[in-house]
Amino acid sequence: MPMPIVNVTGLWKNFGEVSAVEDLSFVVEQGQVCGLLGPNGAGKSTTLRVLMGLERPSRGTAELFGVSVQPGCGELIRVGAMVEQAAFVPHLSGMLNLRLWWEALGGHLRDADLDTALGIADLGDAINRKVRTYSQGMKQRLGFARLLLARPELLVLDEPTNGLDPGEIRDIRELIGRLTREGATVLLSSHHLSEVEQTCSHLVVMNHGKLVSSGTVAQLVGSTGSVYVEVDDRERARTVLSALPSVRNLHLQGDGLVVDLHDGRRSDLSVALMTAGLRLETIAPAQRLEDAFLELLEGPARDLTPSETPVAVDATEAQ
Amino acid sequence: MIPLLRTEMIKAARRTRTYVIALGLIVLPAVIVFALNSRGDHGPGRERGDGLFRLAQQSGLLVPAAVLSIMSGFLLVVIAGMFAGDSVASDAGWGNLRYLLMRPVPRGRLLIAKAIVAGTLIWACTLLVALTALVGGAIVFGTNAVTVPSAIGGGVAGFHLDASVLLLRLALATGYVAFGFTALLALGTFFSTLTDTAAGAIGATIGVYIVSEILDGISQIGRIRYGFPTHYLSAWEPMFTENRLPTDMLVGVAVQIAYLAVFGTAAVIWFRRKDLRS
Ligand SMILES: Nc1ncnc2c1ncn2[C@@H]1O[C@H](COP(=O)(O)OP(=O)(O)O)[C@@H](O)[C@H]1O
Ligand SMILES: [Mg+2]
Repeated sequence: MPMPIVNVTGLWKNFGEVSAVEDLSFVVEQGQVCGLLGPNGAGKSTTLRVLMGLERPSRGTAELFGVSVQPGCGELIRVGAMVEQAAFVPHLSGMLNLRLWWEALGGHLRDADLDTALGIADLGDAINRKVRTYSQGMKQRLGFARLLLARPELLVLDEPTNGLDPGEIRDIRELIGRLTREGATVLLSSHHLSEVEQTCSHLVVMNHGKLVSSGTVAQLVGSTGSVYVEVDDRERARTVLSALPSVRNLHLQGDGLVVDLHDGRRSDLSVALMTAGLRLETIAPAQRLEDAFLELLEGPARDLTPSETPVAVDATEAQ
Repeated sequence: MIPLLRTEMIKAARRTRTYVIALGLIVLPAVIVFALNSRGDHGPGRERGDGLFRLAQQSGLLVPAAVLSIMSGFLLVVIAGMFAGDSVASDAGWGNLRYLLMRPVPRGRLLIAKAIVAGTLIWACTLLVALTALVGGAIVFGTNAVTVPSAIGGGVAGFHLDASVLLLRLALATGYVAFGFTALLALGTFFSTLTDTAAGAIGATIGVYIVSEILDGISQIGRIRYGFPTHYLSAWEPMFTENRLPTDMLVGVAVQIAYLAVFGTAAVIWFRRKDLRS
């Protein structure tokens, strides 16, 4: 197996009594676009700060390119990062900010990937205006420009579309797509499932500092998703589906059945139904992805509260 | 290190504040020279009372000493405290610091570069004051030699200072005054790593100096005062009033170096370890 680009192992970060991150582990492999998903306060920014050497872990390790991250460690030069909002020296122009940031380690701005950067920033003449006069969206775009200067292999983006309008969000999504096609790996955090759904190949879901779930977007959504099925013989379908190991619960709804899956894919259901000779009229996600996300977060709590409507999958009862 | 010094210097030099301060440090000595002149009773042998101010009317070569003597007590302290306290905290306050550290600029190197830039600005300000006063003084009072009457030297017999001796001692005094801000620079840089609020770091630095000066005035405190960062700051004045090179100046330099060692080290250690939350 190739070396993971990001490898977080048993990471803890405590602030006094509060644990912002608790025993978090995940990897991001070469070429993945991994979404770090969780509600506000989940510990996403803290995780990314530790990964970028800004904060020290209380316990555990964060590795970039196989090297344990220390403040200012050399591997960071291969990473383009935006942690929380893009920020600059306000009394300098956008251009001078780029130049001074790049040249702080020596060299000359002409060695950087300035064309790509300026293309992304798309600031026109405003690039020569003081950053103080920029809107948040302009700063965010200039932030993207800055992190692209060094032709990074890994992008670490903390809620990158915050403060952007829909057009800018689309530009950023296209940019991420282009960079990954060119071989970059991306780790981005978000509290919007719809955003990561459109951008990411993989997800790491966290809540209250803890890992909730991780895997490909399809796996995660499939593993908790509910599916709505309509067939010609509902009772027989119920029997057939109850026998499937991936089915956790099912109950009647409208003219069809809502099936809760704990793993496996929707296609497993359709194969089983058709093998049993049933005519499948409709099969569709019963939940929006947003609901699946909430369900992931509330997972443990849900197991403790028995629900009224769903019928437990039980062979005898299903007969 | 050189590229970092350059980029940090550009950042500091492009602030409007820097120019306002520079302008102030030209205008204020000029006003003092004007005020000295308007007393109108200058000329050899007519001064009464003690202090550099009386003497300064004899020769423009003494004006910088007089001006430094009053400005180093408060105004230059405030300005130096501003440059030192601001060094790290302003970048942190803007949120730009984390991006520098993710470049990645090594933390220790960044801190030292910022301290050197602040120190350079402090030296530049001191020099600017001395030069403005020298030019203004030379124009108004000429560049005569000085005769110090015995009354001023506190019992010391009267003596004579040539223009060349005056110039040399002036250079020494200016260097000593500028070097006298070393403890403040180290302290301010240290405070600057503790907070993301530049105003807080600046206030704390200047506060320590004011307290040090107040306590230094209370002789009952005893020998501890000799360790205060402000205690030896005026040790250079007897070069002009008593015709001697005070050994206190050497002690003063040693005290400054001690503060630099202690707070400089503390600042580097702390800044390299700290969690960057801004
Ligand atoms: N410097 C800090 N001191 C104390 N608590 C903090 C600090 N930084 C973050 N936290 C806490 O850690 C938790 C996670 O914060 P954060 O990583 O910013 O979450 P997210 O980015 O997912 O919104 C929050 O409860 C927050 O209040
Ligand atoms: Mg956050």
